[in-house]
Amino acid sequence: MLVRLIEMIENNAASMAKELKGKLLSDPNISSYRTLADQALYQDIFEVYSRLGHWLLGDTEKGEVKTHYSSIGRQRFEEGFPLHEIIQALVATKRHIWDTILEKGIIGTTRELDSAVDFITYLNRFFDMAIYYTTRGYYREVQLQKAS
Amino acid sequence: MLTKKLIDSIEANARQLSREIKMKLLLHQSTRSYQDIDEKTLYDWIYDVCSRFSFWLDEDREKGEVQQHYKNVGKERFRQGFELQEVISALYLTKRRLWEFIAASREADSALNLNQIIEVSFLLVRFFDHAVLHVTEGYEEMLHEFGYEAPLNNPERLAEAIAAKEKRQKEFLEEPKLPTFSYTKGMIRLGYYRQV
Repeated sequence: MLVRLIEMIENNAASMAKELKGKLLSDPNISSYRTLADQALYQDIFEVYSRLGHWLLGDTEKGEVKTHYSSIGRQRFEEGFPLHEIIQALVATKRHIWDTILEKGIIGTTRELDSAVDFITYLNRFFDMAIYYTTRGYYREVQLQKAS
Repeated sequence: MLTKKLIDSIEANARQLSREIKMKLLLHQSTRSYQDIDEKTLYDWIYDVCSRFSFWLDEDREKGEVQQHYKNVGKERFRQGFELQEVISALYLTKRRLWEFIAASREADSALNLNQIIEVSFLLVRFFDHAVLHVTEGYEEMLHEFGYEAPLNNPERLAEAIAAKEKRQKEFLEEPKLPTFSYTKGMIRLGYYRQV
């Protein structure tokens, strides 16, 4: 059942990425995202949703999360983004997954609910790591700039 | 009802949970600066969250007390010399322990129980999402005071960057220009009509 939830997100990755891209671009609290090319923003979101199984269950040591999100933190720093906006966008990416699951109404039986509790654990663990490493990548660039 | 019971249970076990979380923060490699804090002070910080859990989870407080409190925490940790990612990691380690505590009460054969656990998880996750966001905002305000501000925080720079992006996208989306052919001394030259 856990796998079914993950596959549901992966199979809907394209439409979900499109929806979230629209939300991010129209959110006045994260205006910096309006400076990104639409296709690049879509691709960043699609990368999470289309490989959710890998991010949640495959990358057990979270090595790829570390590399990928540290790099995103550095890149967004270079692009001039405020850090709190990046965190807000990552939180919105996480929430959109859960909203979609609720919208599809696929959690009803006790077995499904039991798997949903596991899903919440994995989902939060991944996004906590993503936000932590993004912050670390970003903040190290701030320190480098202050030192120079 | 069960949701309240779960939240009450955290408050009732606040001392034990705070001690466990304190040890986690002192030992975890991502929160090393917390070793420099007096243990009693660290315990009190954590205990304040666990013992008043229902207060912090109240949705009406998200824009008020929660926002102001965690902005102040961000500013204070900056002054104390913490790195921002350490503060965020401390919040996540706290959340993880509380979630483990909540999830441990699950009875796999009870839909009602599982529904309530999921409901509490929403509250827990939402609270810590806000805490992390506001800590970051407070920390960034201090960075600003000490000379760093993200360029896109400046409305003029932001407007310029958005205009530049829109211009790039417009050029990219323009209809492809039709090639023209001309013949010069045995060579075919490719050119493009200038579009007016």
